Amino acid sequence: MSAPLVVFDKVEKQFGDFVAVKQLDFEIREGEFLAIMGPSGCGKTTTLRMLAGLDAPTVGEIRLGGRVMNDVAPHDRDTPLVWQSLALFPFLTARQNVEFGLKMRGVGAAERKERALKWLEKMGILEFADRDISTLSGGQKQRVALARSLVMEPQILLLDEPLSALDAHLVIRMQAVLTDLQRELGITFVYVTHSQSEAFAMADRVIIMGKGEIAQIGTPKDIYRAPANQFVAEFVGRNNILSGNVQALSNETARITTPSGNFTVPTNTVQLTQGAKASFVISADLVHISLGEPDGENKAQCKLISEEFVGSMVTLFLEDAHGQEFKVQMQERELSKFDLNSGDQIWLSWDTASAHVLDQS
Amino acid sequence: MFSKLSRKLNLFALTWRLPIIIWQFVFFVGPVLFMVAMSFFLVKNYRMTEAFEFVNWSKMMNRGYFWDSYWYTVFIAAVSTVCAMCIAFPAAFALAFRASDSTRRWAIFLLIIPFFTSYLVRTFSWFVILSESGVVNAMLGSIGLGPFTMLNTNFGTLVGYMTLTLPLVVILQTVTMANIDKTLVEAARNLGCSAFRTIWQVIIPLSKTGLIIAAIFCFILSFGDFVAPFYLGGSQEPTLPILILDTTKSGQQWPRAAVVAIMMMLTLFAIAFIGIALAYRKPKGAK
Repeated sequence: MSAPLVVFDKVEKQFGDFVAVKQLDFEIREGEFLAIMGPSGCGKTTTLRMLAGLDAPTVGEIRLGGRVMNDVAPHDRDTPLVWQSLALFPFLTARQNVEFGLKMRGVGAAERKERALKWLEKMGILEFADRDISTLSGGQKQRVALARSLVMEPQILLLDEPLSALDAHLVIRMQAVLTDLQRELGITFVYVTHSQSEAFAMADRVIIMGKGEIAQIGTPKDIYRAPANQFVAEFVGRNNILSGNVQALSNETARITTPSGNFTVPTNTVQLTQGAKASFVISADLVHISLGEPDGENKAQCKLISEEFVGSMVTLFLEDAHGQEFKVQMQERELSKFDLNSGDQIWLSWDTASAHVLDQS
Repeated sequence: MFSKLSRKLNLFALTWRLPIIIWQFVFFVGPVLFMVAMSFFLVKNYRMTEAFEFVNWSKMMNRGYFWDSYWYTVFIAAVSTVCAMCIAFPAAFALAFRASDSTRRWAIFLLIIPFFTSYLVRTFSWFVILSESGVVNAMLGSIGLGPFTMLNTNFGTLVGYMTLTLPLVVILQTVTMANIDKTLVEAARNLGCSAFRTIWQVIIPLSKTGLIIAAIFCFILSFGDFVAPFYLGGSQEPTLPILILDTTKSGQQWPRAAVVAIMMMLTLFAIAFIGIALAYRKPKGAK
């Protein structure tokens, strides 16, 4: 693997007494689509702003292509940002907006126009080139904002929740536009979002942040199937989290006692000790349901509380006799075989390999 | 039922609006119409008599001293506007972008305080500072310069105009710039625009409407001001307000003074109209 494009070296940022981010220690690879995800106030936007030079790190170093960026002014960087508010200049037309960065870089009028029009065409909004920004729709503005950044032909594009103001159907369309663009251009995208679906749909790797620190870095699949800790497991949401004590240890598995029963978990990721506290998760889509008691080591009897449909997928919300909540995700046509009603008692079960033990620290 | 209700509401609203409508008619529209009518009256034996003659208009429009005074007033008010806008801008910029919210609130409060005191009193206090034996000349004299004549000059007039207009211009500019979206300034920086360049590229275009309105106010106040050119400028070159006073004093020529006043009003209407049109103009080349 080639040298990383961006390195965050023990970066910390304080605003007065408030520590916005700390111990930021990660790399961004050349050409990857990296998503930084976390709840509001987790420091994800601050991280992006430091990369753009709009905030300076209090401690640590940020390197871009090997060059230390801490003291480089924002206008001397090649890190265009697509803003949450889009931040299009209302006093300029669509084309003039796209030309703005080139004008600042001293590109001549003729070349500026040509490059701006090329990008507006690429984004499918050439016909709106001479339109006033305020007359464009949300999706069109979005494309102008993307064109304005990409016309600079940067090595890295920063995106700060750019889709959060769009309608749901437009979000899906723009996700496709973004992933296609990223693949075609081969440049690095750093995408900040609070939306798990956006991050998981588009990113090669995801950084989960919480309270100013990195909670986990990994591929969407890693994070979804094997959350590193309770915070990530809860943030990702579609997980069943069970806690108890280690009752017995064998080579590759452990038996954990919880109020809801005893369960077997694989121990290949975390070192467990006899009698210690342990938590584990099972993704909601890896849980099976049955009316009769199933075979196997991992099972729980639950009462159906409610159902939630999203397209052809359905999420069941259940609770066992000890108040432990469970979520099960499955295809609607599969569920319809069972003919369930709220309050029905059913059995849940899962394979030992589906469980994932969380890091307690 | 609904139409009845809405008529009731309209009556209710009208009742509240009526006083200001009556006020405007009695004390603004009425006097203006009377002034227009008066500009056609005649003065015989120092007494105004009703008539409809164009003699006042033709006399004033053909007098060199009227046009000298007219263009001088336009010029000095324009210079005042440029000076006030330039002097105010750095202060307003600092208050809008560098100062904290509470500092900005305090500054705006302090800028309102000059309006508590009479403008005439503030103007007279400049005598102490600007006269031949005043504070400024004493200080310059101590390093071997001067004395400079500052009273009864254009400079004196401009100092008076600044006294009148600067606080207002700073407030208007500050409020305008404080309201612009800071993200747009950051977006410009992000696209390669240096901090200094953002002033021309982003901040001025974004605050164009407010800045033009500040300039219009400044021009109107300076153009119509009597105190500064009379007391600090020495009325050596009379501005139009001084001309009005002189005209009424000499031979009770109220009709001719009305002509001057109407010309002033027309000029201000034109300036305000052009200014507002510019302020709300769409971007260049936009459809």
